[in-house]
Amino acid sequence: MGGPATVVITPPSGRSAQTAPLLDKLQSLLRTLERRYSRYLADSLISTINTRAGSGDFTRLDLESETLLEVADQLWHSSGGLFDITSGVLRKAWRFDATHIPVDVSQLASLQDKVGWEKVERTAQGIHLPVKGMEIDLGGLVKEYAADCAVSLLRDHGVTSGLIELAGDVATIGCQPSGAPWQVGIRAPQGGDPLGGIALSSAAAATSGNYARTLRFKGRTYGHLLNPHTGWPVEGPTSVTVIGENCLSAGAVSTIACLQSPQAAMTWLSDAGLPWLMIDREAVCSGPLAAEMGLSLT
Amino acid sequence: MNPLHSNSAFVRSLTRTLATLPAYQTGAALADAPPAFTEVGVRYSHYSEDDIDASSVIFGATSRYDIDITQLWIEAPVGASWSVALDVQNDYQTGASPWFVGTDQNGQPGVIMSGASIQDNRVEVGVATRYFWADGNAGLNVSHSDEDDYEALSMAFDASWNTAGNTRTWTTSVSNSRDKVNPTQGVIPVFVTNEALDTQSGYFGVSQILSRTAIVRVGLNYTYSDGYLSDPYKLNDQRPQSHERIALSTGYRHFLIDANASVQFDYRYYADSWGVDSHTVELGWAQHFERTTLTPYFRYYSQREADFFQVVADLNEPHFADDYRLSSYGAMTVGARWAINLGDWTLEIEGERYWSDANWGLYDGDPAPALVDFWRGTIAIMWRFD
Repeated sequence: MGGPATVVITPPSGRSAQTAPLLDKLQSLLRTLERRYSRYLADSLISTINTRAGSGDFTRLDLESETLLEVADQLWHSSGGLFDITSGVLRKAWRFDATHIPVDVSQLASLQDKVGWEKVERTAQGIHLPVKGMEIDLGGLVKEYAADCAVSLLRDHGVTSGLIELAGDVATIGCQPSGAPWQVGIRAPQGGDPLGGIALSSAAAATSGNYARTLRFKGRTYGHLLNPHTGWPVEGPTSVTVIGENCLSAGAVSTIACLQSPQAAMTWLSDAGLPWLMIDREAVCSGPLAAEMGLSLT
Repeated sequence: MNPLHSNSAFVRSLTRTLATLPAYQTGAALADAPPAFTEVGVRYSHYSEDDIDASSVIFGATSRYDIDITQLWIEAPVGASWSVALDVQNDYQTGASPWFVGTDQNGQPGVIMSGASIQDNRVEVGVATRYFWADGNAGLNVSHSDEDDYEALSMAFDASWNTAGNTRTWTTSVSNSRDKVNPTQGVIPVFVTNEALDTQSGYFGVSQILSRTAIVRVGLNYTYSDGYLSDPYKLNDQRPQSHERIALSTGYRHFLIDANASVQFDYRYYADSWGVDSHTVELGWAQHFERTTLTPYFRYYSQREADFFQVVADLNEPHFADDYRLSSYGAMTVGARWAINLGDWTLEIEGERYWSDANWGLYDGDPAPALVDFWRGTIAIMWRFD
């Protein structure tokens, strides 16, 4: 899934010999999910769906992929279309690693014809993308889903104390062996020391950021999150962290927050009713977690 | 309060969607918990028996019972671990029923009907509370039912708990009912006053998730009644003072991913101390659509007659009855349920048709002349809110 993974587990008492096989199972689980949902692997389910775009051929879905697409549908509805798993093609018009002419506006217009979750055909036969060149990307959900699956697998094998981190998203089982909650550091968008730590026990923390890849264009800095309605980068918060019962729910709330203006994001996060931390473009922190961590508040 | 328990419609809806995936079916997030919402519901059913065949009637009306059932309920969470519920039901029945079976001038059995002016109203009020803990829940239900000629007070306790990583659920329940029978004098003479009936019942069952797409359930129920068990509105009806019943019920659900549907199979075996035993088989197909589920079903029922049943009752026996419900017969039901989810609102519509025939059963026995066919329709609306 294109990111580092960290697993910390305390083996169930008397079962330390089973740790290595358990980690193998975990690795196998993550690989299986990657093989199914990575858009970079030619034989993945996602690549199959994308390759068949415009062909009229539907791709059958199982309960898992159907549910993940249903989640994507809910996020699309709840975000007013800002969260759109078809918007990935817009990246082709932007060069976040380029130093000159980062956007090809003419290409942007033609790419937008290939964007729009509302165009996607979902029936009992499966899913079909109606426009050739249209693509879906579940990357915004699958990493968090994988963390939740990992927690489920470890719990099923009797693990009562553990932590999984998949490229910044964290899911925990119980507390540390000492009984203290897990402490998870929040990365500062500008780099350097973490801003502080949040305590987690049997909970997950997901962070969505708009700072990892940026570009400057006509004197302004843009993050890599794109608005599917305009094709241009959103001018949302720099980073949002949300704590939830599971990683996917926390990630869904934080991702949608990052796609909105900072003001709208604050309203969205408050309405979601989960603990949150938002860092805006001026590096000002807000939200219940900011208060808990003693960070500067708006 | 759990700070991660969000009341936002978005998070709740997401949680509901994710609940279909195995990764979200274990752990604290989906442990037994009180309902997250208050639910208010109203249900109306109409039950209508077909007219009895005129050739089976020696005397009286051919029209039979109609029953209107209206139910209102509310269930609400209280604190982090409890819920309370109130349930009120009103049944209004009108029409005629078989009074007794006699013989016509040709010696053929035929029904003498009660006349078409019977009216009765029953009101039942039930209150329930339920406690939830991480691996299970337990509930207590008290209900009182009152009508002109019958009063019942019942109490039930049930508990269910999960084991084997939440894949196995054990359920048990016990209940007790104390009934008073005071039949009213109407168009037919009644010779019974101030009778009583006590009933105790117990159930034990288990359901097991077999795989991501299959679940099986089995349960055993035992019921013992002691007291007045005859039908006071039938002329020739004298049943034993006690009634033991045992029922074994099983069910299987299989979700078909490609079809987005579930196959449902249920079987129930019943036997009692009066010599009745029966088999019920039900097959259903729940087809899920985006916001609705349509479930057509078919049910077959076959019953062996009670030891003391006779088409025309022999009053010289210690126990006797000519009630068609105690005869040997078979029955078929065809119906469909349609559940429509509209956000916080749910609409349920159900209709079924029931036919019975002495020749459709698995057991021998003389055919009762008053076997019934009926229609039943139900509409229910439920509203959930914070």
